[in-house]
Parts: sequence; structure tokens; C-alpha cells
Amino acid sequence: MSSPTSSPPGWKAALRSHEFILLAVLMAEWVSFYFAGTHHTSHGTFGFGTADAQADILRHTVEIGLLALVMTPIILTGGIDLSVGSVMCFSEIVFGKLWRDAHMPIPIAATGALLTGAAAGGLNALLITWLRLPPLIVTLGTYSIFRGLAEAVTRGADVFAEFPASFTFLGEKSWLGVPVQVYVFVVVAIAVWLLVHRTTWGRSFRAIGYAPEGTRFAGIPVERRLALAYVLAGTVAALAGLIYASRLNQVTAADGTGYELAAITAVVLGGTSIFGGSGTVHGTLLGWVAVAVLSEGLAYANLPRELGGMLTGVLLILALSASILPKVLSNWRARRHTGTSTSQPPPPAST
Amino acid sequence: MKKHFREWSVAAALGFILVALAVFAPPFYHPQPLLSLVTYEAPTLIVAVGMATIIICRQIDISVGSLFAVCGVCGALLLDRGWPCLAVLPVSMLLGALMGAINGGLVAGLGLPSIVVTLATMVTWAEALRWLRQGVLVNVGHAQWFGFTQGEGQLTIVITALVILLINAVGLRHLAAGRFIYAVGTNAEAARLAGLRPRLITFLMFVRLGTLTGLAAFLAAVQAPTLQPKPDNGLELKAIAAVVVGGVAISGGRGNLWGVFCGVLLLTVVSPISPALVYLGIPSYWGKAIQGAIILLAVVADGWRARKQKF
Repeated sequence: MSSPTSSPPGWKAALRSHEFILLAVLMAEWVSFYFAGTHHTSHGTFGFGTADAQADILRHTVEIGLLALVMTPIILTGGIDLSVGSVMCFSEIVFGKLWRDAHMPIPIAATGALLTGAAAGGLNALLITWLRLPPLIVTLGTYSIFRGLAEAVTRGADVFAEFPASFTFLGEKSWLGVPVQVYVFVVVAIAVWLLVHRTTWGRSFRAIGYAPEGTRFAGIPVERRLALAYVLAGTVAALAGLIYASRLNQVTAADGTGYELAAITAVVLGGTSIFGGSGTVHGTLLGWVAVAVLSEGLAYANLPRELGGMLTGVLLILALSASILPKVLSNWRARRHTGTSTSQPPPPAST
Repeated sequence: MKKHFREWSVAAALGFILVALAVFAPPFYHPQPLLSLVTYEAPTLIVAVGMATIIICRQIDISVGSLFAVCGVCGALLLDRGWPCLAVLPVSMLLGALMGAINGGLVAGLGLPSIVVTLATMVTWAEALRWLRQGVLVNVGHAQWFGFTQGEGQLTIVITALVILLINAVGLRHLAAGRFIYAVGTNAEAARLAGLRPRLITFLMFVRLGTLTGLAAFLAAVQAPTLQPKPDNGLELKAIAAVVVGGVAISGGRGNLWGVFCGVLLLTVVSPISPALVYLGIPSYWGKAIQGAIILLAVVADGWRARKQKF
């Protein structure tokens, strides 16, 4: 957990860094699935090792990746957004309603969906900044209300389907062998990375996570920075919803259930502290790919998909324990040290 | 009055809805559908009682839905093998306590954040259950309603839930052990300096929630002839919502179980399965949106009050 002002660490420290460990896990996953999940027959090669399979893995998990990307700034500020899955679903429903029932053209319906997402994020931001309420509770409420509205609008049973090819292009087609939605994802990823790591806005997210009051006294408009993070999350959640709708060519009130937790998992696995203040966007990307390859790759190796979820949970605990273990050990050593000889000060934490 | 403003306002909202139902939809008070509704939500009340003390302790547990499913399925499998109810109940509670102890050990022992730990255990248990059972329905058969008639079984479940609530509410208010929980939630370091053991108390709160979840799962399992082996989606958020609506502060150290009781009842009356919506002419698919609105309203009321006090 390096502070934003620390000097660049040496290569030894880099080898121990969270991102590097995650990268090693990812390589291990990839190599084992490559050998266990690729089948060579007389008709050619099938399974995990093919470019098609890799493209499919990306195609199936891009939505969670988008949510994880925009969840990162929020968790950096010490907040959380449980509502992204519901916002994603409700925006899709708005899109479906505008297109099918209001007979709007696709671009206008899609803009409507994005605006809905932004407005939903704005509602979260308003309650969190104006009334100074805990994000966990606010977004728990909006989680319920947007899922509830989606169910109410569709009467729990309505399904929007058979979108025109000009829209399903986004989720079903490839360009230069790469699924179209991956290009969208890359653009969003670069934008979020630049925002978090190369602007003063991104630095203020971390400052808010470290010390919200201190940041306020330093003259940073905390409310506006927080609002940006939540509105961005809502908007990108709507974008993820559009991609999801286009990939499955249908919209139901159950879309995106549990996606908020999958996104949080990717962010925390990527090394962002759940208390805020430290973390990186590239860590989140690694966390997302590690989970994606694990959950999708098992199917190619003829292993049960459920194993992926279980291993994700275990991986999450291990990643957290690994990041906290040095601190626990030094605390323990310090306590034992002061226990035996109280006259000496505890040894310095870092050597 | 002012001290318990939050609890009273929830009670007032509940009273208002109940009076409105009495005036506009008297059939809501027919005993049988009402008893069925209350029985269905009784396990939620038990889980909410456990969740309330976790939140008062300034922790959170989002794995209860998975714990609930695992305990329920194990209990139902034993019932199907012909075990008597009285033998299955302790097994279910013990299993819940064990899984709660894992959460508690990771949170209190290693000092990991509870929201992430329980997120991980939630996923792990849910997927393990899906893997082992592959969605096969579990037969409860002869043990439905503990082998009693439906009416007796429903009364047993409701009375059990109320007794649990009463014991815990009185204990939390009047026993030293209950006050310790508030002390840890208000300021863990101060509690430690005062001679309490915050980590042990936190650990025990997770074990306690696991045990109560095991009990709730058993009471839910005997309500139907078959049991779906999947997590009760949203139980954790339903319990947290009831606790928050009931006036427990998410920042710990504040709230009581009578408020939580009112919160559970309020969310029960407007839940999608409640006959109240039908009698009031509101389609049931609005249930979840109304629940969400109530949660937000309670939260906004909190924030508004805090804001007015500040300025």
C-alpha cells in the first residue's frame, strides 16, 4: 500500500507488489487452462487455447469489467455502490421502452438509457453528498428501488427482444477478430485510468479516501469529486446494460443481478483497499481478468463452473490476508517485544 | 420521546399503514392469509435480530443468504432421512454457528474488513451448494410444519420468532453483555481500554448471527413440502434494510430491536407477497419499488435530521 507521494519502488518491491502477484496468478490460470482446456483433433484445435475462446471470454465478461472500472474510483474515495447492477437493468428497460413502445430510433433510445444511468448516479451522489449519508445505505436503497422500478415497468414478465442488427452489432459482432464491445471497453478503461492516475481529480479521490475532512480543509470540493465518481458509475452502468442487451438480444427485469458484487470482487481482488485511499485501475483490470479467466476457463477444462465462484471467494480472502499479513506480523512482534522488555521502544515497522 | 424519535417514527409509519388497511382494505385482517404472511417472514425477523447486533457492533454480514441456504438444505436432507425435528434443529444451528465462526475468525482474528470477507464467503458457500446439489429439490415431506397441522406449525414458527426477539431485545437493553455490544460499536478502542475484549465480542456476534440464521433456515425449511437448494436471493439485503429502517445506525453503537421489529413488519406489509398490495389495488410487481422507497425515505429522514441538528 504505497502512498501517492512515495518514490517509485525498486524491482524487488515490484516483485512483491499486489499487481505482480495477481499477474502470476493470472499466468498460472492461463497456462493450466491452456493445457487442460485445449483439445487437438483431426478437424483442428478447439477449446481454451483458440483465439475464438479468448474472444468469447472477453465478450461474456465485458459488462462486469465496465462496472469494476467505474467502481474503482468510488471505492478509492472510501465509498461503495451496490446499485450498479440495478441501474444497469433499469437503463436497459428504459432503452427497451423507448425503442419498442415509444418507437424511438435506436440512437435516441440509447441516449435515453445513458441519461437514465447518469440520473440514477446523480441520485446516489445527491443523497451521499448533500445529506452526508453512508454510501452503503444509500446505494442499498437505490439498489432496491431501481430493481423494483424495472420489475414494476415490465410487470415482472415483459421481455424486450429482437433488436435490429444495427444494435446487436455492438454485442454480437467482431471487428479484426476482436469483439466490438471490447473496443468500447478499452476506450472506457483508458479514460478511467487517465482520470484516476493522471489528473488532480483522481488524486483527490484517493485523498478523500484517506481523510475526507482533511481533503475538505485542503480546499478540494469533496462533494463535486464524489458526485463525479457516482454519476460516472451510473452512466457506465447504463453503457454496460446496452452492451448486455445487445449481446443477448433481449432485456428482462432480472438482468445484471449480482453484478455489483462481481464488480466489487474484481476491484478488491485488484488490490484497492475497501476503506479507500489506495488502489489502482490496472490492478482492477487484472482482478477482473483473473476472475473472468477462472470462471470461463473451467468450462473448457470440463470442470464445474461453480468451482470458479468458490475459488474466486477463496482468492479474495487470500489476497486480503496477503496484503494485511505483514502488518499483523509486525504488530504481533511489536506486542511481544514490548511484553518482554517495556523499557525499549518497539522496533520500526519498516526496515 | 426525542431519544427514540427514529423508532417512534417507524412505528408511526407502520401504524398509519395498518390503520389505512383497516379502513380501506379490511379483508387484510382475515386471520389465515395474515398468519401465512407473518409465518413466511418470521425467519427474516430472526436473521434481522442477528444482523442488528452485527451492525450495532459496526460490522456487516452479507453472507447470511448463503448461510441460510446451506443450513436449510442440510436440515431438509436430514429431515428427509427421517431424523426427528428436535435433532435436526441443533445440527442446523451448529452448522450456522460454524460458518459464522469462519466469518468472525477472519474479521476479528485477522482484522479483515467484514464486507469483503462476507462477500467472499457468500460466493463460496452459494457456489459450493450449487455444485453439490445441482439444483435438485430436497423433499421435506412428512416433516412439513414439524408434523403438526398447518395452523399449529405456523403458530409455532411465529411464536418462536417472537420469543427470540423478546429475549434478545431484553438482553441487549438490560444485560451487561448487551451493553458491551454498544460499547464496542461506539468506540472499540475505548471499550478495550475499559477492559472489554472487542475482538472476542465481534467474533461472538458473527457466531451468534450464524446460529440465528441456522435456526431461521430450519424454520423456513419446514414451511413447504420441498426446498429449492439455492440461496435466498436478497435475504442479506432484506435483513440489512429492515435493520436500517428500524433505526440502527450503520456507523454502529445505536439502535434497538423494537425498532428493528417495526422495520421488519413495515417491509413485510408492503412486500411483493403481501396481500395488502392486492387489497389496496396496487399490482404486486410494485412491491419491491415500494420497499426501496421506504428504505430511501428512512435514510433521507435520518440525513435530514442530522443536517438540521448540525446547522
